Amino acid sequence: MRAYACLLCLLLAWAGSGVAMAQNLSGTVKPADWAAYKSRFIDAGGRVIDDANGNISHSEGQGYGLLLAYLANSKADFDLIWSFTKTELLLRDDGLAMWKWDPSAKPHITDSNNASDGDILIAYALLLAGGEWERNDFIGAAKTIIGGIGKSNVVKWQDRLLLLPGAKGFSESDRTDGPIINLSYWVFEAFPKFASIDKTTDWMQLSMTGVGLLNKASAGPRSLPTDWMSAKTQLKPAKGFPAEFGYNALRIPLYLMRARIYDRELLTRLRKGMTSESGQVVITDSDSGNVKETLSDAGYAIIPALVACVLDKVKLPEAVRSFEPSLYYPSTLHLLSLSFAHSQHPECL
Amino acid sequence: MKKPVLIIAPLIVACAAAFALQQSYLPESATAGETIRSALLGGAKGSSAQADSAGEYVVAQSGRTPARRTQPALEQPPAPATTPKVDETALRYFARQGDQRRLAAEIARLRALYPDWTPPADPLAVPVQTDASLDAMWKLYADGKLAELRKAVQDRQSTEQGWTPPADLMDRLDLAEAREQLINASDLKQYDTVIRVGAAHNSLMTCSEIDVLWRTAEAFAKTDREARAKAAYAYILDTCTDPAERLATVQKALPLLTRPDLDTLLAKAKILPDGKSEFDSIRDDLARKAVADAGSDPKLVVPQPDIERVEKLATATTGPSDPLILGWYYLRRNNFEAAEKWFKLSYDRESAPSSAQGLALAMIARSRPAEAEAVMYEWRDSSDDTKAVYMAAVANLLAQDPPVEIAPAILQRMVPEVLEAKDANAAQQLGWYAYLLNQFETASGWFSMALQWKPDDEPSSYGLVLTRQQLGDAAGVAAIQRRWAGRSERIARLGEQRKTRQPGLAPSPERFGDTLEQTQLRPTLTTPLALQDMPASTSPPTPPAPPRTLADEVAETISRQRADAYEQPALQTEQAPRPRSPEARPRQAPRGATNNAGARSVRGCTTTIDPQALSPENALSRGWCLMDINRPLEAAAAFERGLLSRSEAQRSDAAYGQSLAYLRAGLSDKAAVAASKARQQQSRQIELDIALLSSRATEAFNAGRPNEAILALDQRARIAPERTDLMILRGYSYMKLNRLADALRIFEAVAATGNKEGLRGIATIRAIRNKEY
Repeated sequence: MRAYACLLCLLLAWAGSGVAMAQNLSGTVKPADWAAYKSRFIDAGGRVIDDANGNISHSEGQGYGLLLAYLANSKADFDLIWSFTKTELLLRDDGLAMWKWDPSAKPHITDSNNASDGDILIAYALLLAGGEWERNDFIGAAKTIIGGIGKSNVVKWQDRLLLLPGAKGFSESDRTDGPIINLSYWVFEAFPKFASIDKTTDWMQLSMTGVGLLNKASAGPRSLPTDWMSAKTQLKPAKGFPAEFGYNALRIPLYLMRARIYDRELLTRLRKGMTSESGQVVITDSDSGNVKETLSDAGYAIIPALVACVLDKVKLPEAVRSFEPSLYYPSTLHLLSLSFAHSQHPECL
Repeated sequence: MKKPVLIIAPLIVACAAAFALQQSYLPESATAGETIRSALLGGAKGSSAQADSAGEYVVAQSGRTPARRTQPALEQPPAPATTPKVDETALRYFARQGDQRRLAAEIARLRALYPDWTPPADPLAVPVQTDASLDAMWKLYADGKLAELRKAVQDRQSTEQGWTPPADLMDRLDLAEAREQLINASDLKQYDTVIRVGAAHNSLMTCSEIDVLWRTAEAFAKTDREARAKAAYAYILDTCTDPAERLATVQKALPLLTRPDLDTLLAKAKILPDGKSEFDSIRDDLARKAVADAGSDPKLVVPQPDIERVEKLATATTGPSDPLILGWYYLRRNNFEAAEKWFKLSYDRESAPSSAQGLALAMIARSRPAEAEAVMYEWRDSSDDTKAVYMAAVANLLAQDPPVEIAPAILQRMVPEVLEAKDANAAQQLGWYAYLLNQFETASGWFSMALQWKPDDEPSSYGLVLTRQQLGDAAGVAAIQRRWAGRSERIARLGEQRKTRQPGLAPSPERFGDTLEQTQLRPTLTTPLALQDMPASTSPPTPPAPPRTLADEVAETISRQRADAYEQPALQTEQAPRPRSPEARPRQAPRGATNNAGARSVRGCTTTIDPQALSPENALSRGWCLMDINRPLEAAAAFERGLLSRSEAQRSDAAYGQSLAYLRAGLSDKAAVAASKARQQQSRQIELDIALLSSRATEAFNAGRPNEAILALDQRARIAPERTDLMILRGYSYMKLNRLADALRIFEAVAATGNKEGLRGIATIRAIRNKEY
């Protein structure tokens, strides 16, 4: 009970800080880093390319692209990516983005479902850019998307709000072990912004539920959440997905910190769980805790390092302080981490 | 006597439905439209130059409130608030590029936006604006590189203080993005998005954006806003002038709007210079669709003009499809004569399973199952439907009443089909066919077969019980009566009925009426035909005197066709039984051709005379005489005359003689009929049956139908021990069916009697087996 009350205080404090934080975010990705990133992962037509996944594009990538363009203070690139996103993905009747776009398929959309994290990222970036650059068209578009997420992806389940990963295939009626959640889809930093312009969904409650679930999701010897979990009763790995702390979940600490949810216990547990004895980020089996993959990329390594710095003032190791594009996903996480360190914790650098 | 038409109504329904499905009859317009659309799409970004009338903005409005308009929705574009300074940069760019198409489109667009504006007489004469960066932007626009254009504009704004992009460029960029989004959403069937985007961009709703208009109209229709869809199509027809696009517009509306709405659109047709109406081809397609739809749904009412239109088309064109849809249309309305006419035309133009099916169904309905069988035989294996229609033809052919003789070749090809299809109805009809020919063992076999395939079939059980009665199998009759106790009155009452009927004769023809009525099959044929061919004889339980039995009619029919008989080779004479009862036929007549000795050959029989001139008694004698000199066909004619004798004994003798005569001539079917013409002593009856079955087995084997040979042998084996030669026949029949173990068993049994044929059979089987291994 006390923990809950504390959490509430924390969230309230954080909600208040949201706006102030947003204002000094733009410009926190260095021009050179952004130029390197975009030369690698963004094509001339504004398409963010996931080069580890057959060069497809998806709503998450477009959302990250928009957010980074904003953080790099590049209006032109933002317009570029937005034009593609709008005309090629934002096609669903519910106003949301179709999540998967394949350059080799015709039509390019190969899955018309949405991915709620992609939509959240897109709407969040639009709100940030629209506010700072006084672009009402961005704000209007963001509102449509936010309304769509509230309608299609946020559900009430056992008296609490949950974020479904997509409009189709995850709900209680879609699966026997539904609803299915993915805690890395909670982009915590976006929710205070959403709450400020959309009152139809209780975004702060949704955010709180996410943190609450993270506190409960502590499975196996490593006490880590699983990427895909059934929230039907007690949290457990969802059927049909690998039961692992994987590529999805490893961004959770970053999302928490970027939202300034400095829950020491939670962040410490995640940092320790995701780090091997030799100090590398690992993907692990939820049941056994066994290491399935060791990730040496700076974009992954910077995440637990950042937790150590934020909580314990340990400076970031040299190797992760400078950006060198590798693959789309770790490079994205790397820039988001560096941007956060620049703006909030320059002492880490 | 009306001829029965066995249940074909469900078949008509099923086939018509299958046909409709397979055709999914829609005019080819959809594809034609697609081509037009993609052609337009190619030029859509620059737009085709025909937006020359002002105010061509259709109201897309919000997709949610139904629009009520008296006029085709025309709304002025969002007019610039201040007196516009017309932005001619695009105009000049296209002029410099020599892009006449886009130049014209731009002039049209600006005129639409600014009615008072006059285009420059020579866009090139204007001092060249040397803004390379802006030119590059227009180039991006022209190339459809919209995202890059966005970026270029922003880049320049960031680097060049105070620079603002031309409003015209930005408007067009907005529109182009919206067009992309709308088309993508439309391709992905996100119709709400289509309407949402369209509504937010009224300027897209122009004739130069015909594709966008079409897609928006489609989105309305697909989201149950038919009135708005109709209004959108109507707007295009009222406003846009391109003939191909107008035609495509109606074609696109075809599958989406109701017929009355379509008729409203068609009324907007222009009269072409040649006097024809612009949408004649569409009216044709619509009429075709109406008739085709009605071909699968008999409740649909097709306007007479539509039918006439299609009939005219069917006559004027040379393809098979127009007459075909008419065939189905009339078939489903029980106008079988018209149906046959159109199916025939279609079939003559192109033989295909669907027209064959329709033609056969119409022929069956018109009581010409033999022709139906002939048409369908070729197509019987094309599909389940054609098979079903073929089986219907077979069943109806067999069930014809009075029966007609079916050519052996036809019977031969039908039987294996029945066996393969396991068609209980056809098997039952084969049973009745055999029954009417007094081939009771065969009949019993077929009825049993039918019951094997359809265990609770009352008509087949009725056939079987009648057959058993004829065979004197009282226990068998009782068994069936027990089984059907309380479920079939006619089976229960069989014993009583028997008293009114001469044993050995075919049952009275009301069997068909009874059969169908009792089993509730007939009501499914809800056609006038069903009423008219309810046999009139259902009412009289006992036929009025003089009793003409079916068998009489069969015999009559056959005698009419006697000419054929002379072409039949004489076979199996050695198998004809020798009469055993001396009182019936004293055989002292010597073989001498002119010998007059004996009561029956008073005048000899070598001269040809018309037996009709003889008294029945004399004709009978002449018959035996002719038999003795081995002229069985003439003997049969003489015995026919003998059948008119007033003495029952003589009539029996004549029937027996005629039967033997036919058997000797190899005409076992006719022999069976003849045997039934008068009551026979049981011993004679069995004797004849044995001979008939032997003959049948041999015939079947020789004709390459070992299955039937075995069937006949089995039946024969029930009434007589199998002769060695027939065992050999059985052995080879098994061998042909690749039942080698059975064949070997038979040959071994024969060989055990010391018969060389048996040993040869064993050797043959071994040879086959060795080859296989």
